[in-house]
Amino acid sequence: MTSSSARKVVLWSSLAALVLLAVAAIVVWSWRDDLPDPIASHWGAGSAPDGFSSPGVFVLAIAVMVVVLCALFGAIGWHWGSSAATRRMAAASSVWIGGFGACLLVFTLGPQRGLDDATLARLPGWALAATLLLPLVPAVVAALLVPGDRHAPATGPVAADAARIALAGGERAVWIRRADGGTGLVVGAIAIAGLVLLAVALRQWALLAAPVLLAVVFAAMFGFTVRVDATGLTVRSLVGWPGTHIPADEVERASVTEVRPFRQFGGWGWRVGRGGRVGVVLRAGDALLVERTGGRSFVVTVDDAATGAALLNTLADRARP
Amino acid sequence: MLWRIDPAGDDALYAQLVAQVHLAVARGELAAGDRLPAARELAGSLDLNVHTVLKAYQRLRDEGLIELRRGRGAVVTARAEADLPPVERALAALVRAARAANLSAETTAVLVREAMNR
Repeated sequence: MTSSSARKVVLWSSLAALVLLAVAAIVVWSWRDDLPDPIASHWGAGSAPDGFSSPGVFVLAIAVMVVVLCALFGAIGWHWGSSAATRRMAAASSVWIGGFGACLLVFTLGPQRGLDDATLARLPGWALAATLLLPLVPAVVAALLVPGDRHAPATGPVAADAARIALAGGERAVWIRRADGGTGLVVGAIAIAGLVLLAVALRQWALLAAPVLLAVVFAAMFGFTVRVDATGLTVRSLVGWPGTHIPADEVERASVTEVRPFRQFGGWGWRVGRGGRVGVVLRAGDALLVERTGGRSFVVTVDDAATGAALLNTLADRARP
Repeated sequence: MLWRIDPAGDDALYAQLVAQVHLAVARGELAAGDRLPAARELAGSLDLNVHTVLKAYQRLRDEGLIELRRGRGAVVTARAEADLPPVERALAALVRAARAANLSAETTAVLVREAMNR
């Protein structure tokens, strides 16, 4: 389902990515008389470069990579962008890849100005870390610029065949459960340890910023509180952010589904999966699935999801006028 | 876990919360080390005064079911886990006997409560 807001987000984020790339290409163009030909285009484990190409081919290769990945993220946002979370991730990814391409051009070719022989080219220690992390700044700005979903109450009743729990007329109920990480925790810990080892092995201390950043993300994804009450479904990280709320009157059906993290979401954490389904995916197995208005769906891996789903359907019934 | 409150029920609101924690522990839905929700969160969702929830938590602490720790909240203790199957077997026998004696559910409940208060 393509909404006009999804199309708008895809267009401006792709444009922003291409502008970042174009600015970098213009900067590199202004350096054309100072650069060696061929230039160094790749560095291996040592400090000397091990790959070379002509400046034009290098710029073209990076431009093609940015355009192809931008088109991929754009297609995800265009076709699957029914939820604001999906549009946000598509926009941030597009802008990040544009910034990444720009940094790649500037930080690879900048140090080679004035060299006659590209084999003498050395990358400054911070170049790798800066190329990975600097594009996060415009990416985060892009994510923040994407407006959230507007409140869209359902017009029809909650699915009749969905499970309910028996609740007396004036009875109030809440279901609160903690969702913890399983495999995702292990994968995250290994990734952090691996990046630290890499930074130490390469003696690139600026690269330590990557595992630090990953550790912050990891702490935020460590565990979530899942709550179903009269207001709807609330999922919030134990550290307070990120979180999301699905109002009861937007719920069309809550049910239990089986989640395969890698196949459906490509990993663990706060994800966008196949079909634009937004997921808080911490382990494989049973999860609470909420189908909401506007063709959106949300899933969170939590134990005893059947109780949560039944209560959410029951309270969504009450939220209908 | 699922928490429910019936303002039209006979028991006090805090007592309804206490009873549900007892049940959840007996059924194994709550185990030693599990954390109960923050009193403010539970009170907000159930539209209760936060003091009602705190009163329930204090009662549970007095009964030894939970520990209240600053910063960690309400944690289920190791002592809490009850052995429910024998009680359920005895209950089945009680229900059979009560039916044979033509006692209503209400009358039987009153008898059980009196017996436990002795």
